[in-house]
Amino acid sequence: MSFITQIFTLAVFAVFVNNFVLSKFLGLCPYIGVSKKIDSAVGMGMAVIFVMTMASTFTWLIQEYLLIPYQLEYLQTIAFILTIASLVQLVEMVIQKTAPSLYKALGVFLPLITTNCAVLGVSILNIQENYNFLGAILNGLFSGLGFTLVLVLMAGLRERLEKSEVPEAMKGMPIAFVIAGCMALAFLGFSGLNF
Amino acid sequence: MKYFLKLGFVLLLITVIASGILAFVNDLTKDRISENKEVAQKEARAKLFLQPVSFEENIINLPAKEQEINPLKKFEEPDSLEFVYYVGYNESGELDGYDESDELVGYCFMDSLYGYSSEVKTMVAVGLDFNVLKIDVIDQLETPGLGAKADTPDFEERFIGKNLSQMKVKKDGGKIKAITGATITSRTVTQSIAEGLKKLKKALGREAE
Amino acid sequence: MNLRKEFTKGFVKENPVFIMALGLCPTLAVTSSVENAIGMGLAATFVLTCSNMIISLIKNLIPDKIRIPCFIIVIASFVTIVDLSMNAYKPEIHKSLGLFIPLIVVNCIILGRAEAFASKNKLLPSLLDGLGMGLGFTLALVLIGSIREILGAGLWLGMKVMPDAYIDSPMLVAILAPGAFIIMGLLMGLIKLVNKGK
Repeated sequence: MSFITQIFTLAVFAVFVNNFVLSKFLGLCPYIGVSKKIDSAVGMGMAVIFVMTMASTFTWLIQEYLLIPYQLEYLQTIAFILTIASLVQLVEMVIQKTAPSLYKALGVFLPLITTNCAVLGVSILNIQENYNFLGAILNGLFSGLGFTLVLVLMAGLRERLEKSEVPEAMKGMPIAFVIAGCMALAFLGFSGLNF
Repeated sequence: MKYFLKLGFVLLLITVIASGILAFVNDLTKDRISENKEVAQKEARAKLFLQPVSFEENIINLPAKEQEINPLKKFEEPDSLEFVYYVGYNESGELDGYDESDELVGYCFMDSLYGYSSEVKTMVAVGLDFNVLKIDVIDQLETPGLGAKADTPDFEERFIGKNLSQMKVKKDGGKIKAITGATITSRTVTQSIAEGLKKLKKALGREAE
Repeated sequence: MNLRKEFTKGFVKENPVFIMALGLCPTLAVTSSVENAIGMGLAATFVLTCSNMIISLIKNLIPDKIRIPCFIIVIASFVTIVDLSMNAYKPEIHKSLGLFIPLIVVNCIILGRAEAFASKNKLLPSLLDGLGMGLGFTLALVLIGSIREILGAGLWLGMKVMPDAYIDSPMLVAILAPGAFIIMGLLMGLIKLVNKGK
């Protein structure tokens, strides 16, 4: 398969077939927490894509040039999560200086990206799936895209839901989960994709 | 300035202490971890034969087949270069006054192929005529209730007595009945057994059979 | 401080999963079987209790500005200990839980309790808080896992609990992703309903 085909395959699989939220169960906390309004969903999604891509880059480098050569693989969890925490801190400071309005809009959600299992998840998966440097970066990017896609779709649905009659007990999180389940059912159909 | 130094120092101290403790735990467990794998495979091999069998390990280098290079994954030396198979010798000792020890009973190998959502490892025992004696799917993380059914006797016994020429799923012209709703996983197991059989024959110099 | 209350609040009143909606990722991912649910629950409880204890002990030594990274280091260390130990002594469960063992470090329950409780309370209450929350988490996991395993495979802890006819063609969706979400949603709704009734 040519280079472009491989990248395309990776993209389709990362976004649809192995969607981080609906099929791997990663990134659920922000997914349920931030998907109430489309605007915040888009903002959060963009931030997550950026962090996931950067995190994939740095964690891959750390694994390749620090952990493996010195046989410190058992320190992977600590090393990765500290890298991610620092990265998020850095991103927060940069956004604060360069785009204060965006910073205000995202508010408390930015530091929460540290505990987003999707970020740590993709870092570890890159190593497990044996991706090289380019593969790791692209996997981070596309997985983040998949997350954002589903997040924005969910926000759209939930905004509509505000105007529907939902039984009292199901309002808020319960119905959000059920809707997520329906989306997951739809995405399950992608698993037949084969090329 | 002094303040930042203090922050950095505390962080460093905690990290060093943590790393030290983890290095200790790692040391404790790493031998056990690599042992577990060995033991599991050994047990799987023994289970495939009806009588007690001793195994002689043979490692042979076969010409690697053309591996498609995935530009996004780390380039590995194609490991189909090395094929490990085991020759089984009867260990049941005296039987009917006839000393059957060291009699050749069959061969055993393990082949691994990526299935629907995970690497599927199958342990295969074949007789002297290269018909399958028994298989055991020993490692898989396929879809529960569908592909995961490959790890059940019901599926595994479909391979008993089959040879290389029959080693395809019925849909593809062979004799193996696939699991309903799990074509990909069924195909994967079948293919990996076929590949393994080919390699075994090559290793023994008996490709013609 | 009522010690018994600190211990039991994590079971129902402040159940981390159903009431506080924390730790959702592992909840849906590992509940396809009760065995996995128990494994994850106990692993997380171990990490939560130990990290709560350590953090409560060193809380006065950590400068406020770097408390989150310090908490993370402590939590990550215990997660690694659990990871290595499970791989050595219980490899089958280690494989089933897979990615979600290291992900315990970002389980919001653990960091949440460290920040909200352990960093402000003494050793014994922190220990009980961790243990209680962990057990509450485990209970939630086992509940969801039971529903999914029984409906989706007709088994409970691998034992048959449904008639053979059901086991031959169970409601497969329950152990697949969509089922996880829907069952979770319905359960949450049910619990909300029950709480309102009180």
